[in-house]
Amino acid sequence: MNEQEKQRIYERYLQATHRLGRLVTILTLAMLLAAPFVMGLILHAMPNLGAFWRGFLSIGIVYLISCVAEYLIYVPMLGAGGSYLAFITGNLINMKIPCAVTARDIVGAKSGTSENEIISTLSIATSSLVTILVLAVGVMLLIPLQPLLQSPVLLPAFDNVVPALFGAMACKYYRGNWRIALVPLLVMSLLFMLVPSLTGSTSFMIIPSGAIAIGLAYLFYRRDAAKLDSQEADK
Amino acid sequence: MSILSQLNSPVIYLICGCIVLFVALVCVVFAVRAYRAGKAIGMDVTKMKRAIVASATFAVLPSVGILLGVIALSGSLGTPWPWLRLSVIGALHYETQVAEAAAEAVGLPGLSATHMTAEAFTTIALLMSVCIMWGMVFCLFSLKAYTGRLNRPAGTKDSVGKKKNSLSGFGDIAMTAMFIGLVSAYIGSYLGIFASSQGLFSFRGTWLPLAVALVGAAAMWVFLQIRDRRQAAWVDSFSIAGSMLIAMTAAIFLGRLG
Repeated sequence: MNEQEKQRIYERYLQATHRLGRLVTILTLAMLLAAPFVMGLILHAMPNLGAFWRGFLSIGIVYLISCVAEYLIYVPMLGAGGSYLAFITGNLINMKIPCAVTARDIVGAKSGTSENEIISTLSIATSSLVTILVLAVGVMLLIPLQPLLQSPVLLPAFDNVVPALFGAMACKYYRGNWRIALVPLLVMSLLFMLVPSLTGSTSFMIIPSGAIAIGLAYLFYRRDAAKLDSQEADK
Repeated sequence: MSILSQLNSPVIYLICGCIVLFVALVCVVFAVRAYRAGKAIGMDVTKMKRAIVASATFAVLPSVGILLGVIALSGSLGTPWPWLRLSVIGALHYETQVAEAAAEAVGLPGLSATHMTAEAFTTIALLMSVCIMWGMVFCLFSLKAYTGRLNRPAGTKDSVGKKKNSLSGFGDIAMTAMFIGLVSAYIGSYLGIFASSQGLFSFRGTWLPLAVALVGAAAMWVFLQIRDRRQAAWVDSFSIAGSMLIAMTAAIFLGRLG
């Protein structure tokens, strides 16, 4: 099969992914929005729309801004299929993003390539299925499992899933990228120490931290490219 | 019948279970399509299988953490709704916050079964759905255009005829940098909690998240050494899950010291 034929297959796959992605997104949204009303019918207590709007104005706006940031930051990491799935299944920061990035690194896929699109979709679909399975089994065994999972002995372990994840990821990504990592790490550490209330908005702080890292990476990239050019010119 | 009995009734399980099942089927369809497309364009099947195995092993431990979120919320919202929320769309760190805030917004003193009513529950459920649905809404209206822009080859002309900068190769570096920024924000927050959460530079805050992150990093370093020295590429598939397991085990022992 020649490259043109492969490109045609991939383009068709992408087009179909967008069609399917939009369809399942509409269906999921409809089901999620309908569920409270269906439950309201069963419980004979429909949602109080006045209280809903008051609540939305007080907390919904915050999450709307957070969702915009997440969308802009994560889509380039996830590709089309991965993004539809990740935004439907949730748990992006504590699972889907690290999972997709790790899978991409393991197979050595480059961003923006067909390989990255496929691997990212496979990774997010697999991790979502594992979560759905673990939660379904967990819910079925909730009564026997509850004392074990909520035992005070194990509680610090489950309270620290995210620090355990980010510690491991930090080692993996800082290694070999110290010149990019040092400044955002120092700036973020100082900021959080000087303004401790920011710890409640860590997901927002990803934006300036990421911007610093990307800015530095761009500077180094341009410098290295210029060096390479001058070395080639010398030859 | 108590409110929790109503919220845990079989019909509520059925409603939530149907949505979870639908999303599980969507995941299967996307995975099968991606695998077939990968084969059709000549991707290495072994690589795709490695990605699947690595993602499955990686997802187990965070999933158990998410299950704890279901348990935590089930005391006030019943089991089926938190099960649905954390299987679909929701996120562990958002759901509890949104549920708490939603409870206050509907006039409850806090998120507890004692004060919960059926009307408060359905209002909280609607608020939780609407607050975190925006990622899906953006995907619906702009994902095709956004990914199209991102994937436009470098050096080509855009719609207004401007030539784009030739930055082929920077995309990967930018993704790694973005991830480094993300990790740095979280590590910085653990340091901030330890140093200043109980008073500026008092160093009396909890040091456990920072210590757990350090143990996770140390464990990962050992895994990477094994991979590099023994040429054992398979270690990559289990290194994150293994490091997390070691760090979480350490949290149990370190938690006793704190």
